[in-house]
Amino acid sequence: MPQFDVLVIGGGASGLRAAIAAKRAGASVAVLSKVHPLRTNSALSPGGLNAPLGSDDSAEKFAQDIRSAGDGLCDTEAVNILAADAAREVIWLERVGVPFNRDAEGRIDRRALGSSSVQRAAYADDRTGHMVLHVLHEQFQREDIPCFSEWFVTSLIQDGGACTGAVALGHRSGQLETFAAGAVVLATGGATQLYRPCTSAVGTTGDGLMLAYDLGVGLVDLEMVQFHPTVYSTDRTALVSEAALSEGAQLVNEAGDAVVDAAGLSRAELAAAVHKAGHNGGGPVSLDLRPVADLASRFPGALEVVKSMAGIDASQNPVPVQPVAHRPMGGIETNAAGETSVSGLYAVGECAHNGLNGAGRLPGNTLTEAVVFGKRVGEAAASHARSAGAKEAAGSAARDNERLAEITSGGSSGDTLGTIHRELGELMSANLGVTRTDAGLAEAQDKIRALQQRHAALRVNNKSRIYNYALAGHIELGNLLKLAEATALAARGRAESRGAHLRSDHPEKDDSNWKAHTVVRSQDGSPKLDTRPVSA
Amino acid sequence: MEVTYKINRKDPENGGESGYATYQVDLPEDATVLDGLQKIRDEQDDSLAFRASCCQGTCGECAVRINYKAQFTCTTRIGDVTKKAPEVQLDPVRNISVIKDLVFDMDAFTWDKMAAVKPWMEPDEEFAPTENIVSEKDMADVRKTMSCYQCGLCDEGCAVLPVNFDFLGPGAMVKSYRFVMDPRESGAQMDARMKVVEQPQGLWDCVHCYEADGKCPRGLTPSTKIMEIRDVSFKEGIKNEKVGRHHASFINSVKQTGWLDERKLVMETEGLTNVAGLMKLLPTAVRAMRRGKMPGRHEKRPGADQIKRIIEKAEESK
Repeated sequence: MPQFDVLVIGGGASGLRAAIAAKRAGASVAVLSKVHPLRTNSALSPGGLNAPLGSDDSAEKFAQDIRSAGDGLCDTEAVNILAADAAREVIWLERVGVPFNRDAEGRIDRRALGSSSVQRAAYADDRTGHMVLHVLHEQFQREDIPCFSEWFVTSLIQDGGACTGAVALGHRSGQLETFAAGAVVLATGGATQLYRPCTSAVGTTGDGLMLAYDLGVGLVDLEMVQFHPTVYSTDRTALVSEAALSEGAQLVNEAGDAVVDAAGLSRAELAAAVHKAGHNGGGPVSLDLRPVADLASRFPGALEVVKSMAGIDASQNPVPVQPVAHRPMGGIETNAAGETSVSGLYAVGECAHNGLNGAGRLPGNTLTEAVVFGKRVGEAAASHARSAGAKEAAGSAARDNERLAEITSGGSSGDTLGTIHRELGELMSANLGVTRTDAGLAEAQDKIRALQQRHAALRVNNKSRIYNYALAGHIELGNLLKLAEATALAARGRAESRGAHLRSDHPEKDDSNWKAHTVVRSQDGSPKLDTRPVSA
Repeated sequence: MEVTYKINRKDPENGGESGYATYQVDLPEDATVLDGLQKIRDEQDDSLAFRASCCQGTCGECAVRINYKAQFTCTTRIGDVTKKAPEVQLDPVRNISVIKDLVFDMDAFTWDKMAAVKPWMEPDEEFAPTENIVSEKDMADVRKTMSCYQCGLCDEGCAVLPVNFDFLGPGAMVKSYRFVMDPRESGAQMDARMKVVEQPQGLWDCVHCYEADGKCPRGLTPSTKIMEIRDVSFKEGIKNEKVGRHHASFINSVKQTGWLDERKLVMETEGLTNVAGLMKLLPTAVRAMRRGKMPGRHEKRPGADQIKRIIEKAEESK
């Protein structure tokens, strides 16, 4: 049985940063990732990462901007940690190789992004996520940390109340393996595949959230899902960083007239404005990138992706855009050290809720959150593993083996994974989209339950376990459906409009009742909604 | 539109049996090749294996050969590859063993080769209070190179890898170039990397066929980058000891005598104090002698002094 002090699940930016930090803290570490680290969703974060590096900026200003975007739901400790540590982490990234754009003095240049009060986002063209991920992977290799790439985690092991490892299926070997660990870090990314369309990679299926949920850990503020305002989307998506709006790009109607003034708007407000403009009879909204100076050198990634996915030359023509589901703010309930309610189980990055993002993430904070908290959580997990001591994981893969055999017991129900996933995504976009109503949420709950039943009846014909993507896909879709149910419950509960959660039947913010986090826990197999106060 | 997918499949659990399977798929005009693959797995055959992740040309995960040309399935429109006939043929990329269907051994193909060149910085002042001060122009060049997907398409086009899989390949060279041209990189880590890059099956084994340049989806011209690393290698001095001895012996021989003393070259490359290495050469020497291939006396050729002056001139201009 492979045994490590710290087992990191997920090979994106948060997971790699956590693994590097844990290793440097003296722990033996391994990373399990269902795709190779360089193929993770972290690469899809183009715009930049925030750090108060400028003489016009400070940790206090940064914290204030985070709180404004979070619209009352930020927990102070996480905000202060991010604001205080961001500059150090970004400078570390530069020192170990991220080729950030430079200003005239040769220092890290910063661009305006979203509603930040100053130019704060360090950036590498509009491929920041790609560059940061590649450099983190370089440093990960430097630490000589074992990487179990293309391993799909099927369950966590719990022993005496503590998490002591995980069971995973190796795509290449087709074998289930039990990994023992002193501490487990979930860094599995978000669940944007709940929606169709969405901006995120196919693997963002909320696996980590469901692994934690199944151990009784709470999921916080699931209703807070960020919609990105400037995404080309048909069956395919092409995201253009909203940094373009700060550099001259305009949101226009078919006549070419500007329809939305983005200045000072939070991402949620901007998404709502684009949504509204697109639904007021004025025809589709387009992003006109032509006014951007030095477009080809400022936004090479956007030009490339719009060309390949939309077939549009954005240097010549406006690009039709709409708000598209992008990143969740909610996730696994943790404190600022990444600890969950289960001893030895940590969570970080997009799968986690540590109180940083509140009801709306400040654009440019995704990658900063990944590296700042990745480091802290990696160190905390290493420290826990040292005090917990190494032990054999008590669990075995027998239960998982039975579960996989059950899924692959064949027999057609006439349904398909793709059909159920598509129906779920369209339902989520329609009923849990930019705006929501109680009736729509109630309908969603019913339909999600029906989809769950169809999923439960569905079997995979292929019994092989070697690169059986349908088998993994079955588990992923099961995770999404459970998460959808919990998300709809939370969204229905929050009878107010705040941040990314807009209820047309409750258009006002209700601080007296809802300046609080929603928490969904599994009780007797069903999701139960609770609330807890925001910590000042 | 109705499209026939002809897919090269391999079943690792059935004696490695492989062959083409065909599927009829109804797709919208603007569908991608990946859309069709997903539809086949979803509706017709859930055992079909292929890789995909971002589905928007950002991650580099979905490279396969589409009608014999290696490209990404997520950015390739079905309409663009079915102009001649409503059929598309999909094969795994070349030069690498296939695990299942369109899933190939990316570890051996690209990841292990990339890792071999020690692709990371080990800066002296890793936790300095401020960033490095460098020019935007230098960083723009590094960013261009770092936009590399590490998708392996350059290696897929490489003419050397099919005959020598131990060749580092253009992908790992491009990864090296990212450091070689980065003004922030220097010192011991750079030397350690160059020793690997300059190894006999590295930098010098590229045959300049330029195939890799035509394959790179981001236009990174790996062949040109390999040439530039060679220039740097000569300028800075070769760090790989064995290759360094080879070059020194070659130059010395031509400089002193106007032509190449092959006996000396072989021995000096191995190292004159490397007894074990020299002993390994013995059987080859014996065979060469038996067949009359052992070079005879090595004498200075006419015009050798002019050749020497040419070399010295070149060395001065370095």
